[in-house]
Amino acid sequence: MLLEIKNLCLSFGGLKATNDVSIAMEEGKVYALIGPNGAGKTTFFNLISGVYKPDSGTITFDGQRLDGKRPYQVNEAGIARTYQVINLFKKMTVLDNVKVGMHTKLKSGFIQSMFHTKSQQAEEAAIIDKAMDLLAFVGLKNHMNDLAGDLSYGQQRLLEIVRAMASEPKLILLDEPAAGMNSTEKVELNVLIRKILARGITVLLVEHDMKLVMNIADHIFVLNHGQKLAEGSPLEIQNNPKVIEAYLGGGAKK
Amino acid sequence: MKSLAKKQNNKLITSIAVAAILLLLPIILSVTGNSYSILVLGFIIIYIIAVSGLDVNFGYCGQISMGHAAYYCIGAYGSVMLHHYFGIPVIITMILASILAAVLGAIVAFPASKLVFHFLSLSTIAFAEIVYTLVLNSPGKITGNAVGMFTDPINIFGYTLRSNTAFYYFGLVVCAVFLLVKWFLVKSKIGRAWIAIRENEDAAEGMGVNVVKYKVMAFAFSAFYTGFAGAMYAHLVNYIGPDTFTMKQSVMFITMMLFGGTGSILGPIIGSMFILLMTESLRVLEQYQMLVFGVILLAVVLAFPGGILGVVKDVIKKIKLKKGGVKNVVRN
Repeated sequence: MLLEIKNLCLSFGGLKATNDVSIAMEEGKVYALIGPNGAGKTTFFNLISGVYKPDSGTITFDGQRLDGKRPYQVNEAGIARTYQVINLFKKMTVLDNVKVGMHTKLKSGFIQSMFHTKSQQAEEAAIIDKAMDLLAFVGLKNHMNDLAGDLSYGQQRLLEIVRAMASEPKLILLDEPAAGMNSTEKVELNVLIRKILARGITVLLVEHDMKLVMNIADHIFVLNHGQKLAEGSPLEIQNNPKVIEAYLGGGAKK
Repeated sequence: MKSLAKKQNNKLITSIAVAAILLLLPIILSVTGNSYSILVLGFIIIYIIAVSGLDVNFGYCGQISMGHAAYYCIGAYGSVMLHHYFGIPVIITMILASILAAVLGAIVAFPASKLVFHFLSLSTIAFAEIVYTLVLNSPGKITGNAVGMFTDPINIFGYTLRSNTAFYYFGLVVCAVFLLVKWFLVKSKIGRAWIAIRENEDAAEGMGVNVVKYKVMAFAFSAFYTGFAGAMYAHLVNYIGPDTFTMKQSVMFITMMLFGGTGSILGPIIGSMFILLMTESLRVLEQYQMLVFGVILLAVVLAFPGGILGVVKDVIKKIKLKKGGVKNVVRN
């Protein structure tokens, strides 16, 4: 198992935002996390990525316990993420955004940087090629010297994804990557996620666009009121009466 | 390729010209019988170092410090007292005092790294007040309290920098080294992490940047620069008293930084030069200094937030855009 989450709980005051959720994920698949608004999807993401500390339960990634770790440590362990709201470094260039994504992979420390040593120079030169390669991957190579804030909305979403990929993660968490995209961009996103998978990166995405989710996910987790309602293949989920009820409301029952 | 070679050639010629002017400046000034001006040049260098340090903290890492006079003070008193009480050679005391400033900067930064903008500025003011009060009312009057302390000139391996001209050349070298190191750092992984924190703290942390560590690092680095500037000041003027290290000094640093332009190498140079020359030429208005600074700060924040450098960059950008295409616009 790449990621194994057991009995994860988190409360905000009286509200149980995540209530005894257990999931397991294998390497090399696309997973999707769905649920009605307020089901606790983003909270769950924030728990995995270390933004929130769970009240109880365990998160084991690649044999390593991650619960209670800080976000930068989670990134170091090999989980990268994108954000629901675009969270780029707007006044940095596109290239520098990707370079920040590589932060944990760079060995030069303060002293090497301060004295601009040979090894530090070599390392800096090497990451430019890698960054360009990643930018070419999503078609942003021509924009590498533009400021991230000057990119179009769709391009900013793509940059978020490559910035996350720059840390060479084993697992990437995509928080509503299709939000605000038009139908052409959504088709491209579909292709892109397949390409990410082909690079050996496991994908977990939160998404409202059911067409995209059903199309791309190998396995779906459904959350409702902070609890896991169901899981299974897209076909199983589509025909699960509990899921239909959660989405359409109790009145839909015959 | 040809234009690249030409560009590098132009750069080389410019740097040689600048170096020549800087080296010859004291000679020109002494020929014209203006020796006080050489002292002013020394002050400008000191301020460039102090403000460059402050800029790392604010311009790059996005942490405001309204109390950098504290580190200036620690550098100055630290160096003078280490020399006075323990007989350590002055150049070594300057480095030791700057390290002390950096350590204290880190200690302040650690809890402060969790604070947002306005609370951070308050805590830095509080720390500066503590340092000022301690210097003014030291136990056993070890700082000379209100009377202050006399200082010895800088001594480098037996050579004493007695004249302002000697200090100027020493300062020039130190300043060049400090600016070069700052340049290397801000262009490295460290600098990128600092800017990322300034731009978006949550995303920086999510990308694997240990935000607390890098914030503390920026603060300590910044305090080291300002501390060293303080030590240089102390050994240049032969006497230090607590009055130099009040809130007014911190405001002066901030005014210089914002006026010149933040997050750059050139900004602090321009800002320090301009503001210092202005205060020197407006000596008559000394009691209104804070008022003048206030007006400048307001003008900068409201009208041109990028400082002088930002205005110049905008103008160059516009000219280049007119000349040919967006592609040729050079950023930074």
